[in-house]
Amino acid sequence: MNLIKMLLAASCLWVGAALADPPPGYPFVGYDAGLKAARASGKPIFMYFGRYGCAWCDHTNKKTFSDAALKKLYTENYELVYVDAESGKRLTLPSGERITEAELGVRLQAFATPLFVYLTPQGDKIVQIPGFKTVQDFRDYDRYVRGGHYKQKTLLEFLGGKS
Amino acid sequence: MRAAALLLAVLAWPAQAAWEWSAPLTVNSVQGAAIFPHLESANRQGVAVSGDTVGVVWEDNRSGSPQCYLAMKPATAAAFKPEIRLSQADCFEPVVLALGAGRFVTAWEEAGTVHARVLPGGTVLQLTQAEAAQVTLAIRGDALYAAWAEQAGRFRRIVVARLTVNADALGVKTAQPVEAAMPADEQGWPALAVAGDGSVTVAWEDRRSRHTVPMVSHSRDGRSFSPPVRLTDIESGSAPGGLGAGTGAMRPTLTARGEQGVVAVWLDKRDFLSGYDVFAAIDTGNRRFGKNIRVQDNFGDNMAQWHALVVGDARGRLVALWDDARDGTPDVWLSEWEGEAFGDDVAVPGAAGPGGQSDPVATFDAAGSLHVVWLERGETAGTRIRYAHAERN
Repeated sequence: MNLIKMLLAASCLWVGAALADPPPGYPFVGYDAGLKAARASGKPIFMYFGRYGCAWCDHTNKKTFSDAALKKLYTENYELVYVDAESGKRLTLPSGERITEAELGVRLQAFATPLFVYLTPQGDKIVQIPGFKTVQDFRDYDRYVRGGHYKQKTLLEFLGGKS
Repeated sequence: MRAAALLLAVLAWPAQAAWEWSAPLTVNSVQGAAIFPHLESANRQGVAVSGDTVGVVWEDNRSGSPQCYLAMKPATAAAFKPEIRLSQADCFEPVVLALGAGRFVTAWEEAGTVHARVLPGGTVLQLTQAEAAQVTLAIRGDALYAAWAEQAGRFRRIVVARLTVNADALGVKTAQPVEAAMPADEQGWPALAVAGDGSVTVAWEDRRSRHTVPMVSHSRDGRSFSPPVRLTDIESGSAPGGLGAGTGAMRPTLTARGEQGVVAVWLDKRDFLSGYDVFAAIDTGNRRFGKNIRVQDNFGDNMAQWHALVVGDARGRLVALWDDARDGTPDVWLSEWEGEAFGDDVAVPGAAGPGGQSDPVATFDAAGSLHVVWLERGETAGTRIRYAHAERN
């Protein structure tokens, strides 16, 4: 029993060290593992591009990702990827290029965190959205992505048309 | 229209007149749509000039795995010689330093530890047994130092080593962590500088404050280091409501400058809505960095800056470089210290314009010429590593 507790504690510590600040309780994984899982499952990827110690990430985690229904929606329908904006941890892009997590921010032209990026199961970007968002925002983005509306409309066009 | 063009030309004249650039050359002999060269390294040390020889190091995947390469060129030659492969296993973030008389010392991460070698000739020395990465080098006279991030328990910490050079053979004279205590959180991306008085300055990224803070420490003898202090003058602290731990700052770089000085430049997100800005701090010789100075000018305000570095020389010249996309696509920008502040941002000719030019590395040679290397990303032909040098006129 003690061994199990120690292993669980070590696991939590490792997750904390490697993944910085994803919302607690969500099964976020690294970029490579998430892309692999998405290719296998066919689910789109929801990528949380956060920064260690980021106040707006913390705010989003507490105000939005604490919602149990949202957690269920995103956990069941997406492969969840967390990327640390300042990390030197390496990842492999769909092109085969190996870069650091921080360099991914350069490629995304990230200017603020949190940044939320929706990707196809093959890793192609659908849309990226910066800053604090509400539960309803994430429900709208989910309809846009999983409903396939991104193939015909921009996100703004889609949101402008919602009743 | 003509008056506006004339006005722009007049305004641009002082900056344009400052540097006279050579035509860019391509460094890497192998390119392709699926070959991805990278110039990333701790302290961004991808180019050095040793005597009359220019050396450039990088990593690319032409062989199917990431490997590190060195290309050299006599200063007056019109082309680089075919590159030399430095590594056998997966290799990342190589650095190069001039030893003089056409000799270089290179260092890199390979198979999870850090290695170094004197070139031409020389054999590879594995610097660590423990898992380590992000190696960097600095030299003054015959005092050669390396620093790297080494696994110590759950986290990496910064280790500084004094290296010896006997002919082409490298050795480790001493190696010790900057702090004796085990790290409380992640440390990485060290930068080193050896000032004119022989003292060693080391800066690095540090997460002990629960966000990323560039820290710095000094040593008179290269063995005993002062307690680390932060380079940034922004304190840690949560936003109202207890949110977060502080703003981000990353990838510190250092250079020795003048007789005694050391200068730091890093990426800083204190203005968190406009991406990282380039900030600097100057130690004039008392081993204490002064107030933080924003490097880029107002035209770069609402734009993220990336891949910043600083280079200086014994004459007191000081230049910061980075890339940003203020003109629509990434270009390499340069700003020179003018005594009280950094001057206007100047695009590096050949590293600006259509397409993407980014990831600068740079050095001054003994005569004061500035040597710059960058990536030029093409849509189909792949990425070229480009080189140019400039004389101050």
